Amino acid sequence: MKLSLAELAKFDGREGRPAYVAFRGKIHDVSGSFVWRNGRHQAMHEAGADLTEALAQAPHGEDLLQRFPIVGTLAE
Amino acid sequence: MAKVAREMVERAGVNVDQLLELLVCNAAAELTTYYYYTILRANLIGLDGETIKEIAEVARIEDRNHFEALVPRIYELGGKLPEDMKEFHDMSACSPAYLPDDPSDIKAMLTVLVEAERCAVRGYTNICNLTAGKDHRTYDLSLSILHEEVEHESWFSEFLGEGPSGHFMRRGETSPFVSKFLR
Repeated sequence: MKLSLAELAKFDGREGRPAYVAFRGKIHDVSGSFVWRNGRHQAMHEAGADLTEALAQAPHGEDLLQRFPIVGTLAE
Repeated sequence: MAKVAREMVERAGVNVDQLLELLVCNAAAELTTYYYYTILRANLIGLDGETIKEIAEVARIEDRNHFEALVPRIYELGGKLPEDMKEFHDMSACSPAYLPDDPSDIKAMLTVLVEAERCAVRGYTNICNLTAGKDHRTYDLSLSILHEEVEHESWFSEFLGEGPSGHFMRRGETSPFVSKFLR
């Protein structure tokens, strides 16, 4: 599956929709994560977005994101 | 609510509503962890379990203290706790520290405990980063909690063999860093 940013935004985790986030071109499905309930994470981040820049400021590395399955790639 | 206190934080450039949500999410994590650690503690039996029971108990009590210390700051800044306990549970900043499928598996128990503490360390580091030099009181509170969470992580991590160990159990009262917020 290849998604544009606009298409990715539809997977916002709200109202039962899957919660997808992009990191370095890959799209992860975080729907099953307790800390991504309703598509929100730590009051600061929303699903359906490219979090590559945000992760650089996060108090954790990409290893936590790698726990979630990759379901696609982000279109250039 | 402390009107000027909130105004000072806002003027310093902090998004207070976002900060409040973070504080409530972390307060939820503390109270739920206190609850789940109660169940873990009850299952820490036998030679291996009893060995870590005391530090699990200290972490449990200190996590409850963290909840107690966070609540006044939430209200000072104009926030509040949800009226519904279920809603509060589900907004926790950390995943529930459930009892492992096999409660006699002490390594699995320690993994639950250390993962909970690591989540807390990340959370309070984040709050410290957001408030440093801007919201002195929340920063001081979060840093005090962070000191204790880092020690909790070290205790459990070292029991998992991630050493060498530079830490010892509490000597004296619990919450040496946070107690000033509990008086």
